[in-house]
Amino acid sequence: MSFIKNHIAQQTLNRRKMLLLSAYGLCGAAFGASVRPGRAAPAPRDIKVAWSYRDRTNPYWNGIVSGGEAFVESLGWSRGDMINLINGGSSEKSLSDVKSLLSRYGNKTALAIDPNDMPNCRPVVEAVSQTGAYVSTIWNKTDDLHPWDFGDNYVSHMTWSDVQPSEQTARVLFDAMGGKGGVVHLGGIASNNPAIERLKGLKNALKAYPNIELLAVQAADWDTQKANQVMSGFLTRYGDAIKGVHCASDTMAYGVIEALLAEGAGNIPVVSYDGNPQAVQMVTQGKLLATVFTNPHWAGGITASLAYHAAIGSFRPSQEPREHREFYGPATVVTTSDAKDFKAKYIDSNPQYNWNDFWSLAKGPIKYDT
Amino acid sequence: MAPHISGETIRRWIPLLVLLGLVLFFTTLNPHFLSVRNFARIAISATPALMVAVGVTFVILMGSIDLSMEGTIAVAAVVFALILNRLGGSVMGMGCLAIPGALAAGAALGAINGLIHVKLKIPSFMASLSLGFVGVGLALLITGGDRILIADPVFRSLLTVRLGGFPLMTYVALFCLVVAWFIQANTTTGRNFYAIGGGEELARGSGLNVGRLRIIAFVIAGIFYALGAILAVARLGIAETETGRNFMFISITSVVVGGTALAGGSGGVWNTLIGVLIVNVIGNGMVVIGLPDYFQDGMLGLLVISAVYLSMDRRAFSFVK
Repeated sequence: MSFIKNHIAQQTLNRRKMLLLSAYGLCGAAFGASVRPGRAAPAPRDIKVAWSYRDRTNPYWNGIVSGGEAFVESLGWSRGDMINLINGGSSEKSLSDVKSLLSRYGNKTALAIDPNDMPNCRPVVEAVSQTGAYVSTIWNKTDDLHPWDFGDNYVSHMTWSDVQPSEQTARVLFDAMGGKGGVVHLGGIASNNPAIERLKGLKNALKAYPNIELLAVQAADWDTQKANQVMSGFLTRYGDAIKGVHCASDTMAYGVIEALLAEGAGNIPVVSYDGNPQAVQMVTQGKLLATVFTNPHWAGGITASLAYHAAIGSFRPSQEPREHREFYGPATVVTTSDAKDFKAKYIDSNPQYNWNDFWSLAKGPIKYDT
Repeated sequence: MAPHISGETIRRWIPLLVLLGLVLFFTTLNPHFLSVRNFARIAISATPALMVAVGVTFVILMGSIDLSMEGTIAVAAVVFALILNRLGGSVMGMGCLAIPGALAAGAALGAINGLIHVKLKIPSFMASLSLGFVGVGLALLITGGDRILIADPVFRSLLTVRLGGFPLMTYVALFCLVVAWFIQANTTTGRNFYAIGGGEELARGSGLNVGRLRIIAFVIAGIFYALGAILAVARLGIAETETGRNFMFISITSVVVGGTALAGGSGGVWNTLIGVLIVNVIGNGMVVIGLPDYFQDGMLGLLVISAVYLSMDRRAFSFVK
């Protein structure tokens, strides 16, 4: 049970840190306001690296955290030196955690964050830049907010465009179906951007396959159990007309595959998204036809690295071109033909990344639909 | 002599009539709905929820409430999966200890829940809600956020092997339901739950040890949550912190829709069976008739309100709180 002990020790430490943070909060805020920090970069060891994210129940965020920890270890620090701020899906908590952190460490903070929702990104970035600290964000940012509007302090933003990879998995699926027959789509929470983009990818692919019919689209809210029930309903409604299933996430695909298994219909091809370890494992076994890997390990490490190196002055963000400030993250389609090699390289172990090579896996500047 | 059907008798059967009405409604819109294969699908999604709802029925019969199910299910599911995988990975060998292990975890959490409620005199609503969070946290601590996969073909046969068109898990759930009915109708403890729900002062005055009975009810509920957890794992082959998600809403709704009064003292596990079926028929039926998903949540809410309205005798209440 040593893992529980370790976990408790780590959590106690984190809790102690947070208590200290809150205690320092008020004095720190007053101090920060009166003594405006200077430009001189602090010595590397003084910088505190923090990651703010949603939760630990999801393999995706666990991947992000493992990358952040790999980065701090590459500095010769221990894993515990990375501060974990867990918002549990609350933007209010996300912002208040960041403010406590800034009150405690001021301009010596290097923050990597998913602000939880788009509107929360601005207050986070403003709080960081007023303190003279450094922040790199992923996923959630409004279109009118740009790193270059905040000098050096808003270091970078990375997000993923899911349309193209989702279109690719759809094509893999349609080819496996022999280019004809009915397909159903199980989507994420309807208002979530990835859910919208992943459905759009499917619809793009449909244009090239006139004999494929999209029977139904239904949100299953990224939830395994709900996906299981929705798939059962689809089986009643469309029966044998369903020849393939396009899922917007691995977690939903697990529920779909079980619903098919219960009916003895395990041979219907299913594709999904996210590249979670168990999904990749299923691709190697042929239970899943394809998934998309977004490399959370690299994203977690490189986002922390960008904020850290801006904070110690290794590079001046404001002197970088715009595609180094706002860029797409990597997305790799994993199919049955390459899943084994892929799993050995990215899932069973993590490649040794050079955390100083910030943009090696970036996929070009972010484009806005305006 | 003409048979006299009182209003009370009709009301007792209303949940069943609502269920039949819904089946008729969905069948009219899509004839595929009325098929053994679809009923099996409804049964698969209903069995874990049935166990959880039966568990909470005992607590609601006493006029208390238990909201700890999501945490208890998460812990029981994770404990089950860990023991099974550590002891050989098959329920045919030592792994069968996973079943009593999970039930014990459920019973222990139920006991803690009951003790906090009774000994610290904290309302069951708050005590159980808080303990539910503790349970989710505990499950997260044990798993570190990972999912545990169960591949044992013998255990998965609960889902994959069918008898008369229905998977084995349905029969397991029905057996547990009969046990629950036995506890409710044929044991002193079961009848005493009604006594407490009907009037706690009176029950106390008659010499019942109300505190002890309350703790027993929470323990029984915990055991049934664990049964629900095992069936939920059987359904998906995955045990994780999220296994308990949504069970609070589904189970409480089912109990109420089935006609068991939240105030306590009336209803029972058969009502709960009907309630669980109503909720799952609605969930399945809306997908089967192809209702757009943005209507589905709203429609579920409206149908639940209608079902409760039809199945409760409002004249019996001087006021509703």
